[in-house]
Amino acid sequence: MKKILVVTIATLVLLSTNAFAHTALMSCFDEGDGTITCEGGFSDGSSASGVEFRLEQNGEVLLKSKMNEYSEVNFKKPAGAYQAVFNAGEGHTVYIDGDDIVE
Amino acid sequence: MKRVYLAITMSLLLSSSAFAHFQMLYTPESALEKGATIELREVFTHPFADEHTMDMGKQHDSEENSSVEAFYVINKGKKKDLLNTLQTITWTGSHNTAAAYKSQYKAKRMGDHLFILQPAPYYEAGEDIYIQQITKMVVNVAGAPTDWDTELCLKAEIVPLIKPYSIWTGSTFTGIVKGNGKPVPFAEIEVEYLNRDVNLTNNAMGPSYIAAPQDSFVTMGIKADANGQFTFGLPRAGWWGFCALGAGSDKEYKGKELSQDAVIWVQVKDMK
Repeated sequence: MKKILVVTIATLVLLSTNAFAHTALMSCFDEGDGTITCEGGFSDGSSASGVEFRLEQNGEVLLKSKMNEYSEVNFKKPAGAYQAVFNAGEGHTVYIDGDDIVE
Repeated sequence: MKRVYLAITMSLLLSSSAFAHFQMLYTPESALEKGATIELREVFTHPFADEHTMDMGKQHDSEENSSVEAFYVINKGKKKDLLNTLQTITWTGSHNTAAAYKSQYKAKRMGDHLFILQPAPYYEAGEDIYIQQITKMVVNVAGAPTDWDTELCLKAEIVPLIKPYSIWTGSTFTGIVKGNGKPVPFAEIEVEYLNRDVNLTNNAMGPSYIAAPQDSFVTMGIKADANGQFTFGLPRAGWWGFCALGAGSDKEYKGKELSQDAVIWVQVKDMK
């Protein structure tokens, strides 16, 4: 029983360490057709499919979506200043200002 | 008498440079913060000493240089042909000029952009052989690893085990030399540091950074192990080239001996 408990705890510790060792990554570009594509990922190369994506403007959420099967999201470029947000959990959130997103 | 001295000097220069040819596939920065259009230069040279630049695709039976056989990039598993992006240029080295290429590439998407350049075999008159260096270089956008370690089963290939764009000064690079996907035991590998400023505006080499204490430091010869694997410590920031000699399966071209080599370039960064 003790052995099973130790193995379970060790596995959980390893798993959690693994999860926090990865850095969340996002890169966005202007498609030149009035839309923006943002790509998400992690430093270990794992997929960002299903990870939450938000488009924010003046503190308001314009769009809440999830990264698709290719770890991407495409949206219509909003007028004015905005932020693209890749939210992979606490300590794993990436913000990119719209001003930094170019063709 | 002067002619004799000149002839001896020239033959010494030629012999010292004969084993240090490197196909360069250069871009200033291999680890990009975000997507960008990058400049590329494709030059057949000697990256440390720059004592002679070679005409890419030079043939023994024709005045015309042969065109590049293949040039493409792979990002997230998708291959894009880049042959039509190549523009011929004249490259100015420290001692001569030679036929080379320039190109641009839009590294838009996140992840690794794995470039492969397969030039036409080059006729090396000094040895009466042809040399073809199948060259690999990786540019990464935004830090996400995607394609850098993809094995392409090229005729001659160095498969990296360490990301070629993410190496600190003083750490190491490890790769496996392969020919048609099979490891090449005890492969002979030459290592050179790109010891020059590269002037993209003038398509020219600039001044050198350091002087070698002795000739064996110009082109460093190492060997892979029985599994074709090698590791090399990298003591200085900048670009380093690794060339596995004769790793490819093609041994003859136009009736002459062919050395089909595998080249990979890695970029080293200082911790500062």
